[in-house]
Amino acid sequence: MYSIGAARPIIPKRGEKDFEPAPGGGSGFQLHVLDRARSAMFAALQGSRNISSKSISYAIWQTDISRAYVTTARGIHFTAMGHSTTRSLPGDNEKSKQYKRLELLPEEALYLIERGAMLCWKQTQTDVSFIEDVQGAPMTVQQAFSEMIGKENLTLEKYQVFAYLRRLGYVVTRAEPPTPSYPIPAPRITKHIKRSIFQQISCLLWCTVSRVSRSWGAAFDWWHPIQLGGWSCHNITHAAVFKLLRFIPSGHSVILRPPPFTSDSATPVSPYKIFYNLYKPSTPFKKSAPPSPDFSIVVIDARTTTLPLLHELTGLFDVLPEIPPPLPRKRTIPPSQAQANSSKAAAVSNPQIQSLLHRLFPWLSPKLPDHQPLRPNPFAALKAGKKSVIIAAVDTGNISFFRFSQGTFNEWPML
Amino acid sequence: MSLITPSGRSKGPHKPFNRRSENNRIYANPLPIILSTPASSSASPLQKALGLLGISCTHILNPHCEGIFDAATRSVWVSNSGPNSKDVMILWQRGFFGKGDLSRSEPSWLSRQINAKKLAGKGLTSEEITAKRRAERKQFKLDRAKAMAAAAAEAEAAFSEGRIISPGYAPDGTRLIPSAATWKPSTSTAAEEEPPLTPEAVEDEEELLEDIEHLQLTLQEAFFLLWNLDCLTVLDSNTLEPLSLAQIWTAFQNAHDPLALSLSPSHPSLKPCRFDNPFLVNYVVYHHYRSLGWVVKNGIKFCVDYLLYKRGPVFNHAEFAIVVCPVYEDPADQANSPFELQNSSPFTWSWLSTINRVNSQVQKTLILTYVTIPTHSRFSNSDDTLSSPACFAHYSVREVVIKRFIPTRMRD
Repeated sequence: MYSIGAARPIIPKRGEKDFEPAPGGGSGFQLHVLDRARSAMFAALQGSRNISSKSISYAIWQTDISRAYVTTARGIHFTAMGHSTTRSLPGDNEKSKQYKRLELLPEEALYLIERGAMLCWKQTQTDVSFIEDVQGAPMTVQQAFSEMIGKENLTLEKYQVFAYLRRLGYVVTRAEPPTPSYPIPAPRITKHIKRSIFQQISCLLWCTVSRVSRSWGAAFDWWHPIQLGGWSCHNITHAAVFKLLRFIPSGHSVILRPPPFTSDSATPVSPYKIFYNLYKPSTPFKKSAPPSPDFSIVVIDARTTTLPLLHELTGLFDVLPEIPPPLPRKRTIPPSQAQANSSKAAAVSNPQIQSLLHRLFPWLSPKLPDHQPLRPNPFAALKAGKKSVIIAAVDTGNISFFRFSQGTFNEWPML
Repeated sequence: MSLITPSGRSKGPHKPFNRRSENNRIYANPLPIILSTPASSSASPLQKALGLLGISCTHILNPHCEGIFDAATRSVWVSNSGPNSKDVMILWQRGFFGKGDLSRSEPSWLSRQINAKKLAGKGLTSEEITAKRRAERKQFKLDRAKAMAAAAAEAEAAFSEGRIISPGYAPDGTRLIPSAATWKPSTSTAAEEEPPLTPEAVEDEEELLEDIEHLQLTLQEAFFLLWNLDCLTVLDSNTLEPLSLAQIWTAFQNAHDPLALSLSPSHPSLKPCRFDNPFLVNYVVYHHYRSLGWVVKNGIKFCVDYLLYKRGPVFNHAEFAIVVCPVYEDPADQANSPFELQNSSPFTWSWLSTINRVNSQVQKTLILTYVTIPTHSRFSNSDDTLSSPACFAHYSVREVVIKRFIPTRMRD
């Protein structure tokens, strides 16, 4: 039996599953094991959850702005949650006094309430200031759920994803700032726009080249795509034959035509939007200046949404940074080479600026040393992809995370 | 080493190293055409002179295989008997094209039959090895079920006496139920083995057996071979006359049209061609991966469209599993399409979980390969883009790699 005095309710181990039921229904022994497991679960639920009044935080939920502002902040939770905002005192007009306060988004407040780390009051119209230490009506957990889900684009699915990742120690922030004062990672050097200009130029070039070649006629005979034999192909290898065969447009750099505009129906808003930025527990995180995220997460309801369309995926990839191919497996490098490698690593310590410079002024970049860096394993590079987004498909409380990455098969031929 | 060579089997090829080197020799060519630089002794004076200038003329050996188009099964049959009996092995060994109609992949029906006749039990074909493994696995499951039932009965008996024991464990804590990792098949069947037949008797049997198996090429494989490499001639199944490239182009597309099936392949198409013809869409994907050097095989048993092997099925397991997802540039084309292209509308998350689960259990990475289908209205009716393979320039292929993200394992 569970005693009230016990420190914490513990969910017990329930033993092994019986794979095959005995003929003629469950046996007495099996029923006994099941009953034991069930009563252990009830005992765990019955246990009261206690927290010390010294470690609890307090906040006030403001329905009109969908924020909970923290009056007493205790514990380590606030190193990764909440943001400070400047608000003006209500009542005062014109020369209202500006002051800063710590505010929580609905999912953050709900998570702390559910954990038992925070007590939330609801702001009331009636003046209760005459009672000491009371700033509104206390909220139950149920009330908090019913009031906070649905505010600031927070759906139950999004909260479940948030709470699951927070419990594992990840830092989860919003990708789209809900308030101008919400800290977001510094914008990346957006290659996006420049790339599209490059794309346009390359497309233009490609179009003219293909037009010219078409006017020449026999430049590419589609009935005989590769011509072997004759004097043109001396020293030809199988690898060269495969290279000649690569004439079907491929890769994510090929321009994807948008679907033609239809006026009869308004284009539905895509549910595939990056909602959370995710930081690993090991990533050093500073709340006021968050680094660029380790992962970007899209949360959708798996019951009502199908897989993303190609256009939706392309839209997600467009705003994401490229990740370098995975490092090759470490081998024993001779010391001199290792030194050279480390100096090179120092040289490319600022890869974004480096690559931008490289892109704009290719002749400026220094000549690479003779020895090539180790080629990454093609399988690892193919599996990692170039850009990746994580989609959390929530099916009535069960979350399955999938990583969708841009494949780069055309960059890693096998032969 | 191919597992199917029935005669002249020594012990040597079974050692892994020998098998690998022999495989490297047998499957040295990734394509049916052989590119060889003639040895200097056999070269003509002209070639020698060019060789001095650094130009060596590569000799291209084209095997010129022959197959019969079968519209009903949407395949090209390469016969294992007759004058072109070598074609089957050429197409299989150089690039792993096709599949034996009575075999799992390599056309091994004849050698299986001979093996069965010999009863030697030493040289097993891959199908036989699989069958043996499955029988052993079944035996293991029966044994395990028996042990579990016995343990449950024991626990039940103890419970009725008022004692509670954990079923399946000996009093000293060791597990009584066999585990898949340690279970070994019993070797009682070895004693039943019959002495093998005398070599003469085997030779007689071999004479009697007629190879009734043929190699089936999918339309994509056949078109890849004949269009790019010109090493396959396709015959009309009725007239046995060789089909021209233009005839094959329409015939392969008509094979997916239920109305045009009854027509002779040399007939021109009745309906205007469409960009979303399943043959074209699948060919684009097949060609894309073949041109990148992958060996592309069918992936139906892992509920995907294609499997990608690095060098071929005899060398490694497939690394990637491809699901072809056609994307219409213009939804109107999809609405009036006579074909119901699979996966042209995005599938559900439960289906993604299903195929991903199947494929990650066999260590394959799931790839969604999106093929854009050009807008039909972009091309005027007089445009003859679709009447020739020139239409392939308007498709595009891009991949999306799928992997489960497990937050508990990504914390570092």
